[in-house]
Amino acid sequence: MNYEVKVENLCFFYGEVNILKDINLNFQAGSFVSIIGPNGSGKSTFLKNLSRYLEPQKGIVMLGDKDINKLSKKEISKKVSVVPQNILLEFDFKVKDIVMMGRHPYVNRWKGETEEDKKIVEKAMKYTNILQFSDRFYNELSGGEKQRVILAQALAQQPKVLLLDEPISHLDLQYQVEILDLVKRLTLKEGMTAISVLHDLNMASGYSDIIIMLKEGRVYCQGKPEEVLTVENIAYVFNTNVSVSKNPVTGKTYVYPISVISKKKRKLKIHIICGGGTGVKLIQELATLGFHLSTGVLNIGDSDWAISKEYELDVAEEVPFMSITNEAYKRNLELAMISDVVILLPIYLSKSNIMNVKLLTDCKLKDKKIYIVEDDNLEKRDFTNGEAIEIYKELLNKPNVVPVKKDELKEILIKADENHG
Amino acid sequence: MANKVFKRFISISILLLLFISSFIFAVAIGAVKIPWEEIIEIIFFGVNTDNRVILMDIRLPRVMIAAILGAGLAAVGGVMQGIFMNPLVDSYTLGMSSGAALGAVFSIVTGIGIFGYATTGVFAFIGTVSTLFLVYFLSKTKNRVSINTLLLAGVAVSYFLSSIISFVMMMNKHKLDQIVFWTMGSLSSSTWQKFIISSSIIIPGVLLLNIFGRELNIMSLGEESAHYIGVDVERLKYILLGICSLIVGAVVSTGGTIGFLGLVAPHIVRLIWGSDYRRLIPYSAIIGGSILMLADALGRVLIQPSEIPVGVMTSIMGGPFFVFLLRKQKSKGA
Repeated sequence: MNYEVKVENLCFFYGEVNILKDINLNFQAGSFVSIIGPNGSGKSTFLKNLSRYLEPQKGIVMLGDKDINKLSKKEISKKVSVVPQNILLEFDFKVKDIVMMGRHPYVNRWKGETEEDKKIVEKAMKYTNILQFSDRFYNELSGGEKQRVILAQALAQQPKVLLLDEPISHLDLQYQVEILDLVKRLTLKEGMTAISVLHDLNMASGYSDIIIMLKEGRVYCQGKPEEVLTVENIAYVFNTNVSVSKNPVTGKTYVYPISVISKKKRKLKIHIICGGGTGVKLIQELATLGFHLSTGVLNIGDSDWAISKEYELDVAEEVPFMSITNEAYKRNLELAMISDVVILLPIYLSKSNIMNVKLLTDCKLKDKKIYIVEDDNLEKRDFTNGEAIEIYKELLNKPNVVPVKKDELKEILIKADENHG
Repeated sequence: MANKVFKRFISISILLLLFISSFIFAVAIGAVKIPWEEIIEIIFFGVNTDNRVILMDIRLPRVMIAAILGAGLAAVGGVMQGIFMNPLVDSYTLGMSSGAALGAVFSIVTGIGIFGYATTGVFAFIGTVSTLFLVYFLSKTKNRVSINTLLLAGVAVSYFLSSIISFVMMMNKHKLDQIVFWTMGSLSSSTWQKFIISSSIIIPGVLLLNIFGRELNIMSLGEESAHYIGVDVERLKYILLGICSLIVGAVVSTGGTIGFLGLVAPHIVRLIWGSDYRRLIPYSAIIGGSILMLADALGRVLIQPSEIPVGVMTSIMGGPFFVFLLRKQKSKGA
């Protein structure tokens, strides 16, 4: 594999504070890579380590086959150029002069700029479509135009790697698209490697070949946009509830934020039996719709447990990796009894959590409406040598138990709520 | 292309014309009125008249020192504005001039003579450099220099040093005249020897500064961006500030503290020709030299028979301009 940039065991400290923790990454030549993560996760610091504006205390950055530590500043600037957020000038310069500054690493102090330098500058300006205002002053331009000038300057350096630190913040939508389109085309046509810090997850999804998600100075995960931008990852890394689907036009992953504050309060009380992440999406959806929810029995630290806590639900909880104890079982039963509806999600079943299903056969719940969400994979989920399957069969024969499909559930509950009140 | 060369030719012609006419004006006027014909005879034909001594040994070295000092201060001002990316910075606002004056005053009062004739100059230089570093490191937090802190530190240190100078003056009343000369800035004791010493530092210094025009242009993008384009920012700053300190030391040891010229001259150039440092530094030097020759000449004749010190003249003219720049920057929202 042809890697343009390789990062090995990179650690960086600001004073005593460890900002980047043991980062190992490879960037393939010609790829568009986005780095996402919440504020303070080390994104910008990471870029500054790649450009050697900051020097890591530990680890290596390789540019092609060369260690960046062994290159001079001029040599680095011939290989890597950086487009920062937005540059303001105290002393104004003409656009063409600013782009020409990008030739600095190539220009001889005594000989000055050559015809070749001028040609390269003109090409860069043509590419970013700023030739028509090459004689205007930078500070007179709009935000999007300014950013194109800075991009042209970066191109005049003739780099192999383009680092972009939130290149589209503060820009109007049309300019955001314009800048990212230009960068994308550079990766596709010129084989340039673009590594960009982006705030907008959907922009990252739309343009990136690879997304790297940072949390607290570590790589939390990396991969294709659809692999990285999942409800679970975003909930964990950004501490935010989102729903993920596909952009109907491009087919790319699309992230919708969901507000925790629901407008409507519903009366129907629902108890959800879930675990291992089966409940995340449903809890988010139902909480947003304003239902009164409880969950159980969940091991502390489980992603369903985490999301329940975030929505401040009543949870029957158990110590991590432990079988359900009598106490937790009773609490779960209590929560189920005071609710109007109980839902069983397709959870993986073993000896340690079989009590969650057994609960539903308890005679105290014989009049409770119980919905079992089907997924036709019961055999695969069963690690109890058939015991769980037996319980399911028993349950499905009960008059108060209704099997439902995943996508019908929401509507059924909304109707039930309307009849309830 | 040809148009550009033509424009530059016109600009340089205008600047040289300004410089030469300032020079002639400054040489021609003074307490003793010397007719034009006589001046030309003395300078170009070596004719020996009564006014020869006044012209050749008093007025000419004084005017030439004014030209050199003005050029030095203006070039330094332009470069420092570039290094710190701020239009309000010059050797005066950062306290470098006060530092130089204190160094000079120290050597006068103690009567140290370890460097012979150049002692005062050497101490002025030491004062400049140490003040610059003091101000710079006072305003440096976590590897970053905030411009606001830098200016505040400059003003604070400048006040502090000025009050030390005042204290020294109070304690050394018998040397008051000599000390006042340093704090107000004056060219009244100009000699050919002073001209040779100061110009041997200032002329090469200003020429050296000119080499770094391209880098200073890039610094306008900010230190971080300059780094990304391959400029060794820290090294550049040390080199340029070193040269600037040498020039300021030479200026102050020759003419005392001359305020605001380093601030004003580069801004006149910016307003007319823009901020390209490859032109800004030499143009500022020419304009700075011209202004100081004119200011000194006016100071000599305005309140005859006494003289207004040149430092007072430049501060009277430069102070309002500084306020104008401050307002302009404020309205820009920066």
